[in-house]
Amino acid sequence: MTNASPRQNIHEYLAELEDIPGTRVFTAARARKGYWINQFAMSLMKAENRERFKEDERAYMDEWAISEEAKAALLARDYNALLDLGGNVYFLAKLFSTDGLPFAEAVSTMTDMSWPEYRQMMLDGGRSPEGNRSIKGGY
Amino acid sequence: MARITAGVGSSHVPLLGVAVDQGKWQDDYFGPIFAGYEWTREWERQQKPDVVILVYNDHASAFDASIIPTFAIGCGEKYKPADEGWGPRQVPDVEGHPDLAWHIAQSLILDDFDMTIINEMDVDHGLTVPLSMMFGQPEAWPCKVVPLAVNVVTYPVPSGNRCWALGEAIARAVESFPEDLNVQIWGTGGMSHQLQGPRAGLLNREWDNRFLDLLEADDDAVRFIPHIEYLRETGSEGIEMVMWLIMRGALGQRVKRLHRHYHIPCSNTAIGHIVLEPSA
Ligand SMILES: [Fe+2]
Repeated sequence: MTNASPRQNIHEYLAELEDIPGTRVFTAARARKGYWINQFAMSLMKAENRERFKEDERAYMDEWAISEEAKAALLARDYNALLDLGGNVYFLAKLFSTDGLPFAEAVSTMTDMSWPEYRQMMLDGGRSPEGNRSIKGGY
Repeated sequence: MARITAGVGSSHVPLLGVAVDQGKWQDDYFGPIFAGYEWTREWERQQKPDVVILVYNDHASAFDASIIPTFAIGCGEKYKPADEGWGPRQVPDVEGHPDLAWHIAQSLILDDFDMTIINEMDVDHGLTVPLSMMFGQPEAWPCKVVPLAVNVVTYPVPSGNRCWALGEAIARAVESFPEDLNVQIWGTGGMSHQLQGPRAGLLNREWDNRFLDLLEADDDAVRFIPHIEYLRETGSEGIEMVMWLIMRGALGQRVKRLHRHYHIPCSNTAIGHIVLEPSA
């Protein structure tokens, strides 16, 4: 048998996940909150749904149990707001592709950089973890 | 008897599939990445595995939010490439090995791993990109595949320790399959990357290389890295690397490293791969 590692306290585990700067870890709480945002986004995998959505975004979203706040964020393509509302990037990516937006470019809209600046940062070796690891610890 | 002859850990970035499908693998951007895989493609041509147990995660392609299996094993005859919003990749269908897969599934359940069984699904870039990186562009994939899908999206995802132990149990299951088969196990995903929020674009060359060092080591320290360390050091999507530990656990205590490669960047991601074989 394997050596069991000491079992972690669930409250400490979940608290740590909130201690990362600029990051929304997709916890069960977020998955519950954003369930219909993500299922709505998933529906855009089907061509006929993409057509209907593009024709009238508002009317298509009204068929889903999504809050007004989330609908506004979806209309504005405000992806950071959608992360806060429980959206997950792999689901939201269906909206990127509905818009014909390359993945990395869509990701760059969540940062404080333009797409060319973000692209250059990646070519230069990416964002450093230095100072980006912990909110409380500041390291 | 079936036996696990080697393990491969590899990134599975979707853009690599685009590069293969559009013939861009020799340009300035992709050239250094594909050059790093050349050794491995030649090695695979010589090894001719009968079956690859391919550990990967689905990225909201086959599974939506309604059902979230932690560990799921594909026992079907055949899997089609998924449409991830840009039309399915024009790559061969993936042929399963239902006899071996069902044997592994049953063995794992009897060995206390409560697997979800999948009979039908489409497979996304997490599974087809590693096949393209190792085998290029054949008419048909040269081996059968047992897909092993891991939830690394909704927390809590399985611990590194549990992934390692699952690998050990997979090795026991393969060894008790009566047919003489050359089986490889691949762990895919990673390396450092973050695809969301203001911290998007984080990469960590130093940490990734330490992880590769730990995979080559003769002890199992790597299985005890906590989730929070992957998240802080390698970005929110760097957690995919726990899937490499299923591969590593299946190889036994000592391994020999045959090849290793690392490159930054590919799109938002650090690309790495390592080829290991069990060693007495
Ligand atoms: Fe992935």
